[in-house]
Formats: sequence, C-alpha cells, structure tokens
Amino acid sequence: MLIEQSAYTNRWRRVSPAAKGTFSLCGMIAAYAAAAPTTACGVAAILCAVTVLGAGIPPVRYLRVAAPALLFLAVSVLSLAVSLKIGATAGDLSLHLARTELERVAHVCGRSLGGLAALLFLALTTPLSDIISLLRRCKLPDTLLDLMTLCYRTLFVLSETVHETITAQSARMGHATMTRSLRSLGGMIANLSVQVWQRSQALHLAALARNNDGALRFLEPDYPDSPRAISLAVISGLALIIMAVSLP
Amino acid sequence: MSDPILSFTDVSYRYPDGTNALNNCSLTIRRGTRTAVLGANGAGKTTMFLHLNGILRPTGGHVQWEETPLDYSRRGMRELRSRVGLVFQNPDSQLFSASVREDVSFGPMNLGLVKEIVRERVAEALLAVGMAESADKPVHNLSYGQKKRVCIAGVLAMQPEVLVLDEPMAGLDAAMQTELTAVLERLHASGMTVIIATHDLDFAYGWADEVIVLQSGELLAHGLPAEILQQEDVQDELGAAPLVAEITRTLSLIGIDLRDKGYLPRSKNELLKAITALSRQEKTS
Repeated sequence: MLIEQSAYTNRWRRVSPAAKGTFSLCGMIAAYAAAAPTTACGVAAILCAVTVLGAGIPPVRYLRVAAPALLFLAVSVLSLAVSLKIGATAGDLSLHLARTELERVAHVCGRSLGGLAALLFLALTTPLSDIISLLRRCKLPDTLLDLMTLCYRTLFVLSETVHETITAQSARMGHATMTRSLRSLGGMIANLSVQVWQRSQALHLAALARNNDGALRFLEPDYPDSPRAISLAVISGLALIIMAVSLP
Repeated sequence: MSDPILSFTDVSYRYPDGTNALNNCSLTIRRGTRTAVLGANGAGKTTMFLHLNGILRPTGGHVQWEETPLDYSRRGMRELRSRVGLVFQNPDSQLFSASVREDVSFGPMNLGLVKEIVRERVAEALLAVGMAESADKPVHNLSYGQKKRVCIAGVLAMQPEVLVLDEPMAGLDAAMQTELTAVLERLHASGMTVIIATHDLDFAYGWADEVIVLQSGELLAHGLPAEILQQEDVQDELGAAPLVAEITRTLSLIGIDLRDKGYLPRSKNELLKAITALSRQEKTS
C-alpha cells in the first residue's frame, strides 16, 4: 500500500512511464556493470537520491518500503560470507569467515543494492497499471499482462474481503483464543476459495457483457511531452552507465 | 406507443443444475421507455437480464430485437452487446482494471474502435456519470457509489441503445441515489431505453413508465406502475405497496381524493406539492 500511495502521489506521476522505465533499466545495467562494489553502491545512492529528491518520496517511507528487501539481502550476504566449519572431532563446530569470498560478497551486495534502488525508483514513481501498459508496448505476451492486470485489481478486492471476514469473525469471538483463531483462519480460506471461483465466474460474465472475446484491451494512458522526457532519461541513464563502467 | 425494442416470446430458462429460473415469459419493452423490473430475490430478474444481452440463451421460446429473433452467432452477439449494455450489481465483480480511465475504455476497445474515438467516448461517459475528475484515480480508492458510476460509464462508453441495470441503487446512500436518478433521467432524456431491476417500490412507482413483476420465474404483471402496483396479488408478492400510493389511497378514504382534483402524485415531492396546493385552495375558498 505504501508503494501504491507513492506511485499515485509522487511529483513525477505524470512523467511518461517509458522515460521512467528507461532510466530504471539504465540504473540496473549500471549497477550490474559497475567494476567495483563501491561504484555499485554509488549507483544505488544516486538512484535513491533521484527517487527521494527528484520524485519527492519521503525518505522514511522509502526506507520502510526498502526494509524487507534490505533484511533479505542482509541475511543472504551473511550466509554467503560466513560458513559453518565442522571439525574432525564431535562437537568441534566453528564459524568461518572466508576472506577470499568477501570481495565476491561485496560485489553481489553492491549489485543487489543498485538493482533494488533502480526497481524502487520505478515502483515508487509509476502506478502498476502504467507499468503494465508500458510492458504491453514492449510486446510482452498478452496472457501474462492480462494476468498481471487481473491479479493487481483482484488483490485489492481480496484484501478487502479478508479484512471484512476477519472483522466479522472477531465480532463473533472467532479470534478469542489461539485454537479459535486457527479454526477461523481455516474457515476463511475455505470461504475465500469458493468466493474466488464465484468472482471469476462473475468477471467472465462481465467481460462477455462488454463484448470481450479474449485478450483484455485497454486504452493506453496518454502522457504529454514524452519525447523530451525519454531523451532526458536516456541521456542521464547512459551517463550513469558510463560513470559505473569507467570508475575503477 | 413507441416501437418494440426487445421482446420475450414464451421464454423459459432452466439452469444446468435443474433450477427453472424463467417460465414462459412473454413481454415487450418499447424504445425510449423506462422499465422497472420488480420481484423477490430469486424471482428471475438477473436471469432475465442475462437473456437481454444474449449471455444466456433461452431453453424454450425466444428473445427478439426489434421483432427479429436474436442471432446467437459471434457476429450477432457482438452487435447485440454493443446495443444492449448490461451493468451488474456488484461493482467489484465487473471492474477489470485498477485505473478508472482504462476500465471505462474496455468496452469500446472491444468494439474495435480507433483510439481517438475511444478516448472521446471514455471522456464523454465519465462526464455523463459525473466522474470526469476521477479518471486518473485508482479504482480501489473510490467509494462504493463511485465504483458503481464507473461501471455505468464503462457501459455508456459503448453507446448502447438500451441500458440494463441490475439493482443500481443497492448499497447507495440517499444522496448517491438522488445523483444516480439524475444520471438515469439525463440518459432517458437523450432517448435511451432504460431497464432497471430494483427492490425499491417507491423508486419504481415514481420513476418507471412501465413495471414488470416477476414471481418465481413467471411474469406476474406488466403495465403502468399506477395500475400494477395497486393490484392485490402484486402487493402480496412484493410484500408492500408504494408509500405515495398508500397515502393517496388513505387520503381518498377520509374524503380527500387527490385524483378527483386532478393530482396523480407518483413521488414524495409530487405528493407534498399536491397536499400543499389543496390546503391552499381550501384556505382561499
């Protein structure tokens, strides 16, 4: 929801998604191409700064959105850097920090941070429906995009239903104890499965009623000033890549 | 009387599970009229609507468009569905895209229109339902009533000749109901045929040119609201009578016959006006 909120309210909401997508892609390439881990981290910092200062995303919100990914990265990096060493005798167990591996770990970490910052830039500045229509223009298969469209829409319907169900269950003491909670959860899952089936039927009828015969077709959003925004994105993106490659 | 636009001849429909949802229904809906379809839950209103749009094909009898039986081929359905727009009851089961503008464009895009025309139609449809300012909002941030209006816009953008709405007032507060009634009034004034399923007898009495009453899949009554909704069997089936009709009848019982004085109130406002006018006449005389 935090991502949603930013995507619809940021300063660059009306900037062409193609431009934002291009810049984000360049950011990812730059992070991957960076020779040194510090350069990759630098790319990440630049992308982060552009998102926060340029698009006007509040820094606290940015950190909250990035937190789960950062936590995941920290765990992965730790497991890469530290290995468990089992000695010859029983009970001889030691943690081992592989010095030779450290450089590789730093590289992976830098690239991941850069990739994360590039993706967050796109996700926090562009609503998903705009990203989907951008992907449609990139000729991604229709089936995949239709699934994305429906998933994105039904996600909110589903979360609303889940909230309503939990409220209704709580009102009848459904979550009073751990056992009851578990039972209520089971009931909700059963109920939701039936609802999902019914809703898919209803959506199918609604599609038929509106003359649909297969792929979901929508009007692409129209963004003013696209060529200028795209050329700006290309120039700054290329600059980022050149910087990443040329720095030692 | 205007020409028939959609008609049922002995239409029956049995669902695959064996439920008889419609039984030998014959009725005619005329071009440019406002029709309210009444009936208890499970009386067959939604099944009837799905027949109007060709989504269900009768298991007996036939449905006609301007006196020609429906053509259920792909091409025939394409044509029918561009003429008959159907809005379902639950907005969350019929909005496909998370963006308002995109969702409204779904129907016209399916008609294969060029993008410029689709863009124009989307703008017009959103304007017609008073949602032009919300075009770029995500659907999940809209209120229930706004979502309903987006659904109506989605169908209006296909510029149908007949607009069929399944319980459009359900779940709306009084202010939103008034707004929606105004939208429907504008559409009717532009020449559109409007058919509505509703449980609101007062609304049906005041708004409709004709009412259709269904009872367990059968046509119980069809005609003018002032006549049909006064019938005893209809009132028994629906469990009530329109309040305005009840008050008018009670007034006539105590000697104040509004009809004799030339008033035929169909809504609360018309009734209040009639009573005020009558009391003024009394005072002056």
